[in-house]
Amino acid sequence: MNGTATKLEKDRRAYWAMVLPSFLIYLFVFGFPIVLAIVLSLSNYSGGKMFGGTPWRITGFQQYLRLFTDPYFWNALKNNIYIVLISVFGQLPLGFVFAYLIYRKTVRFEAFWQGVLYVPAMISTIVVGILWSIIFSPYGPIADTANHYYADTYSAKISGIVQATGGLSNPDALTDQIIKASPKTIHTVFSDPAVDLKDFLLSYDPSDTATLEKDIVNLLAPRWNADFLSKNNIAMIPICFVTLWMWVGTYLLIFLANMQKIDRSIIEAAQIDGASETQIMGRVVLPSLSKVIANSAILCISGSLSGFALILAMTGGGPARVTQVLSIYMYDKAFMGAPDYPLANAIAIMIVLFSLLLVALMFALERRFGGKE
Amino acid sequence: MNQQDLRMHAKKPIKPGTMLGKAGAYIVMGVFAFMTIYPLVWLFLNSFKSTTEFRTNMMGLPVDWTFDNYITSWKIGEFDKLIGNSILYTLGSTVGITFFSLLTGFAFAKIKSKATGLIYGSFIIGILLTIQSLMVPLFLEVTSIDRGIGDILRSLGLIGPGEFRLFHNTRFGVLIIYIGSALPVGIYMCTEFIRGIPSAIIEAAQIDGAGYFRIFRSIIVGMSRPIAMTLSILNIPLLWNEFALINILVSETSLKSLPLGIYKFSGGLSSDYGKQFAALVIGMLPMLLFYIAFRRQITAGVSMGALKE
Repeated sequence: MNGTATKLEKDRRAYWAMVLPSFLIYLFVFGFPIVLAIVLSLSNYSGGKMFGGTPWRITGFQQYLRLFTDPYFWNALKNNIYIVLISVFGQLPLGFVFAYLIYRKTVRFEAFWQGVLYVPAMISTIVVGILWSIIFSPYGPIADTANHYYADTYSAKISGIVQATGGLSNPDALTDQIIKASPKTIHTVFSDPAVDLKDFLLSYDPSDTATLEKDIVNLLAPRWNADFLSKNNIAMIPICFVTLWMWVGTYLLIFLANMQKIDRSIIEAAQIDGASETQIMGRVVLPSLSKVIANSAILCISGSLSGFALILAMTGGGPARVTQVLSIYMYDKAFMGAPDYPLANAIAIMIVLFSLLLVALMFALERRFGGKE
Repeated sequence: MNQQDLRMHAKKPIKPGTMLGKAGAYIVMGVFAFMTIYPLVWLFLNSFKSTTEFRTNMMGLPVDWTFDNYITSWKIGEFDKLIGNSILYTLGSTVGITFFSLLTGFAFAKIKSKATGLIYGSFIIGILLTIQSLMVPLFLEVTSIDRGIGDILRSLGLIGPGEFRLFHNTRFGVLIIYIGSALPVGIYMCTEFIRGIPSAIIEAAQIDGAGYFRIFRSIIVGMSRPIAMTLSILNIPLLWNEFALINILVSETSLKSLPLGIYKFSGGLSSDYGKQFAALVIGMLPMLLFYIAFRRQITAGVSMGALKE
């Protein structure tokens, strides 16, 4: 009897020696910060020494009240919801459909699609953010391509006009036609186009229409100032797009691997019964993946709630804070300008609650609509 | 009809509608693949253009190939230091995460204890939490602990008047927090894996007089190599690319990691495209090479569905 007692005691010691270090690190990184965030979000702590510095005390829920009356909080929450929506209803369905197309061999070269579409997930979010912010900037390749196109069309128009009017032999008609051809830009360059443009045209050598045409195009071709990320009402669109772009490959891999675990004979049986491709997808493959989809949605939600580095690198939350998400809003309050730690901690708690709420919702949905095991 | 006939019957001739669907599938997936490959190729090519050339030749191949962007941005970004730090943080925490996950996973899976339900459950909750959302309290925690310990040691006359650092602005602090942030997923994966190892093997070793630590060292570590591989291969890119936490944990350049250095190129240097592009390539190349080298293992690991963004 004594022997078993000491064995149990030894087992107990081994257990705690194996569990405690991890658990203490875990408490240090997750547990204690959560408690600290709850306490500070109810306090008036204003920085400095936490103990023995300026005294601070618990003041109640006023930080949360401040939060709920701050329009920037609601804006950040709204942006977070956009990102959650694009993640759950963009990444997951696209990943699923792509995986299905590969699984059913509708498209071949399985390894190629898997390999390429997962690449974005391997690149640092900071690199991704900066790269796409360049692509979407007025100096980026999208704007450049569009403006080359505009310039080419405009150039063709101008040479048509020069030929039709006979060039500088008929400066009045030429001036008139050019003004008509460039309604958007003419007034940004010439204050009184009819007079100023004519003077400008007459300063050229009548025989060298090529130079004239080139200069007119450079000066008056319409330009698209494609500042996607600095327009208040559309700046979230590129961010949502990049979020989608980054993670579709991940869900493609997850779904494909799980589809390949489905018993082939079930699908063959469905085909024999005359099921169409969409029916097989909707009635056979989708239900047997419901648990995986629910788990992926949880991954998706907790991932999209971080989204911190991407937005910091793409817009920094600008212009005028319209692309802030909760984590950027929190970061701003704590580390930019005068620190407002109680409010920042209240935001942290709100993020935690929001994500737990969404996860609970996912579980409930899976339980209600999920396929049977 | 027998089974064979049914199979034959199921293979219908391809209808024009299916052809159209096929074409559509190729186009949509092709667009996505293009949107992945093209920006990266574009970035790579432009990193060899001078900023002046980039302004006039944005889309084409470089006319004057130059390596200057790399030389200058390497110097400005102090990338030699940062890459060293990144390697240390990534490998150090990967080893730590794998070790602690296996050890604790083994205890949860194979040693009976009433505490397992509660503690394992609390780790599972950690999977659902995003550590980035806790960056403010985490920052306050590490700075306050450092300050508190410093004050005590100073009043005991053990250290001089300088700043005391344990967790904030130290490599140790980064490692501990990286390890902690990945433990929930790691412990979950290892516990589930080790549960699959037959208990008979462990009992046999116990009969031979081996204690749990001995069993862990001589049996579990060896048998858990697949899960240890998966865990490491999933964690390496996440840790290498981590930004939000190290951004608040470290403020000295000598301790920064690569993503923090790259981020510097988004602000004041943002109009100097050549250097910026070179920095971005430096930022993504290590993990692209890692991906090329371990693509199979990464694909298999991700599809286990255990990846946390």
